Amino acid sequence: MFQNFRLSMAWLHTWFGLVLGFVLMAVFFFGALSVFDREIDRWAIPESRFEPQPMPSFDTLLKPVFEGMQPSKESIDFARDKVNGPMPERFDTIVTWGAYTTHRDPVLTIFAGYEVPNAKEPDVTVWGNRTIDPRTGVAFPDDQLKIGSGFFYPLHYSLHFHWANLGYWIVGFASLVMLAALVSGVVMHRKIFRELFTFRPKKSTQRSTLDLHNLTGVVALPFHFFFAFTGLVIFAGIYFPVSHTQMKPLHDQHEVIEAQETGLPHDRAGVPAPIASVDAMVVEAQRRWAERGMGGDVGFLTLRHVGDTNGYVSIYRAGTDRIALTGQGIHFKASTGEVLREDLPPTAVESINEFLTGLHLQHFRHWMLRWLYVLGGLAGCVCIATGFIFFVEKRKRQYAKEGSQNGRIVDALAVTTVTGMLLATLGILIANRLLPASLPFGWPGRGDLEEYFFWGTWVVAMAHAFLRSAPVVQGEINPAWREQCLALAVLAPVTVILNWVTTGDHLLKTLGEGYWPVAGLDLSILVGGVLALIAARHLRRREQGAPVQGATDFAGAGVQHG
Amino acid sequence: MSTSTLSTRHVIARIGAGVLGGYAFVWGFIALGLAGFYAVGLPFHDAEALSNILGFLLFLVVFLWAFAASNLKRVWMILVGGGLLMTGIGALIQQSLL
Repeated sequence: MFQNFRLSMAWLHTWFGLVLGFVLMAVFFFGALSVFDREIDRWAIPESRFEPQPMPSFDTLLKPVFEGMQPSKESIDFARDKVNGPMPERFDTIVTWGAYTTHRDPVLTIFAGYEVPNAKEPDVTVWGNRTIDPRTGVAFPDDQLKIGSGFFYPLHYSLHFHWANLGYWIVGFASLVMLAALVSGVVMHRKIFRELFTFRPKKSTQRSTLDLHNLTGVVALPFHFFFAFTGLVIFAGIYFPVSHTQMKPLHDQHEVIEAQETGLPHDRAGVPAPIASVDAMVVEAQRRWAERGMGGDVGFLTLRHVGDTNGYVSIYRAGTDRIALTGQGIHFKASTGEVLREDLPPTAVESINEFLTGLHLQHFRHWMLRWLYVLGGLAGCVCIATGFIFFVEKRKRQYAKEGSQNGRIVDALAVTTVTGMLLATLGILIANRLLPASLPFGWPGRGDLEEYFFWGTWVVAMAHAFLRSAPVVQGEINPAWREQCLALAVLAPVTVILNWVTTGDHLLKTLGEGYWPVAGLDLSILVGGVLALIAARHLRRREQGAPVQGATDFAGAGVQHG
Repeated sequence: MSTSTLSTRHVIARIGAGVLGGYAFVWGFIALGLAGFYAVGLPFHDAEALSNILGFLLFLVVFLWAFAASNLKRVWMILVGGGLLMTGIGALIQQSLL
C-alpha cells in the first residue's frame, strides 16, 4: 500500500483505530463493568441484596415454578413467521427446562423452551425466562432490569443493536481491528521494552499522550490480545456459522450419531412419562463427583424432552474452582433416575476451547483476577482515548491553519465516548433509584425507562460535546471535557446518596457488614467522582493557560470510573 | 498519515480485500478445517473449535497482509480464489462423509 511495511501498518493503525476506536471504548468499558455484572445487579435490584444461594431443590421448588411457565410474548412474536397458521394459546410440549447459577448469584435465572406446532422447520423453539428467589420460588417482576448482567453485559458484545445481529458484527469487526491495531502498533514503535518505562507527563500534551497510549497498550498487551481474540472465539458460531449453513448436513448427521453413541435421545418418543425425583439424581451426581475427588455444587441443571419417556436430566458441576463454566456432566433417565451416561474428560481441543472462553467469561472464583480484569479493561479505555487525543493534538496546528473541522469532530466524539459514556452509566443508575417501583398503566416497563435514560443521557452529552467544540478549530481545548468531568464529580456522590436514601444501605452499613456487591460499586463510583474532579481542575488550569502539569491525566482519570 | 497519495478507490479496494476477501478466505479455511479434521478422526465439535480458533488467527494475518502487500490484484485473487477453493474442497469432503 505504501513504500514499506511500517507505513502500511501505521496507516492501518491510525484510520481503523480512529473509526472502530469509538466502538472499542464501549466494548472495553462495559466489558470492565461486566466483570462485576452480578454485583451491579444487586445494586440495581435492592430486593436481591442477599447472599448467593446454591441450586434449590428441583422436586419441591423448581418443578412447580417451571410448570407454571409459558413462552414470553416477544419470543412468540419472533417465531410467528416461522409457523404455518396461528400460534396456539398454550404451549404444552416442553423441549427443555434449565437453570444456571454461579457462586455469585443470589437469584436464579431459569428458562424453558417449547415446541411450536405447525412450525415450518422442526427445531423452531419459543422461550420463556424467569428470575426467581431460590429460597422461596417467588418470581422477580419481569420489568426489573438487571443493569449489570442484563444491560451492561449485552452492551459489551452486542451494543443492544439487535437488528440482523448487526451489533454483534460491529463488535466482532472491532475486535479484529483491535488485534490488527495491536500488531501494527508494535510494528510502528518497535521499542517495546522501552515503552514500558516511558511516561513524561510534563512534556507537551502530544508527547505525554503518546507515552500514555504506548504504555497502556504495551503493559496490558497480552490482556488486550487475549480478550479481543477470545471474544471472537466465543461468538465464532455467529461470525462463521459454517456448521449451521454449509456444513449443516454433516452437523445433523453428527448429532444423530452422537445420540446413538451417548445413549441420550435426540428426539421425543411420543410416549408420556412422569419425572422421577431429580433431587435424588443431584445427590447421585454429587456422590460421583466426590468419588473423583471434586465434590462441588450444581452449576447447570437441565431437562430435555420433558414429560416424554425419552426425557433425560443433565446435571453439570459448577466451575467455581475451574476455568470452564461448568463440567463433569452426568445424565439420567428422567422417568427412572438411572444413569445414562457420564461425560468423558475433555479432549485436548475441548480443554483449549474451555480455557480460552472460560478465562474471558470468568465465572470461577478469583477476586484478585477479577480486579485485574477491570484494570486491564480500563487500561484499554485509556489506550484508545489517548489515541483519539493524540490524533487531534498531532494535527491541530495543520487543522487550525486549514480551518478544518476534522479535529473538532474527532475531539467531540472522544468527549462523547469518554465522559459522555460515564455520564450515561451514572444516568441509568440514577434513573434506577429515582423511578417508582410501579408505573402508571400504559407506561413502558421500568427497565425500559431506565434504558431510555441511559441512551438519553448519552445523546445529551454528545450534543453538549459538539455544541462546545468550537475552540478545537483554533487548537484550543474543548470546554466540554471539563464541564462533563464536573458533572461526573457531582453526579457520582448523588448516585451513592440516592442508593442510601432509597434503600438505607449507606457505605458505613455495607462496609460494616462486608456486603461488597453494593459497597464495592458505591466506592468505585466515589473514586471515579474524585478522579473526575481532579481532572476537571487540571483542565481548568490548562484552559487558563497555566503550566500543563499532568495535563493528560484527564483522559485516564475520566475512564477510571467504575 | 496523509492519504493524499492514495486514491479513494484504492483505499476502498484495500479495505474490501482485507475485510471481504479475508472473510471469504477464512470461511473456506473453517469449512475445510471442519470437514477435514472430522474426516481424519477428530470429534465434530473439536474439529469445529480447532478450525474456528485457527481461523481467527488466520484472519488477523490475511487482514494485515491485505494492507501490506504491494500487488492488490494478487491479494484479491488469492483471498477470494483460495476461499472458494477451500470451501469447495470442504463441500466435497462433506459429500464423501454423508
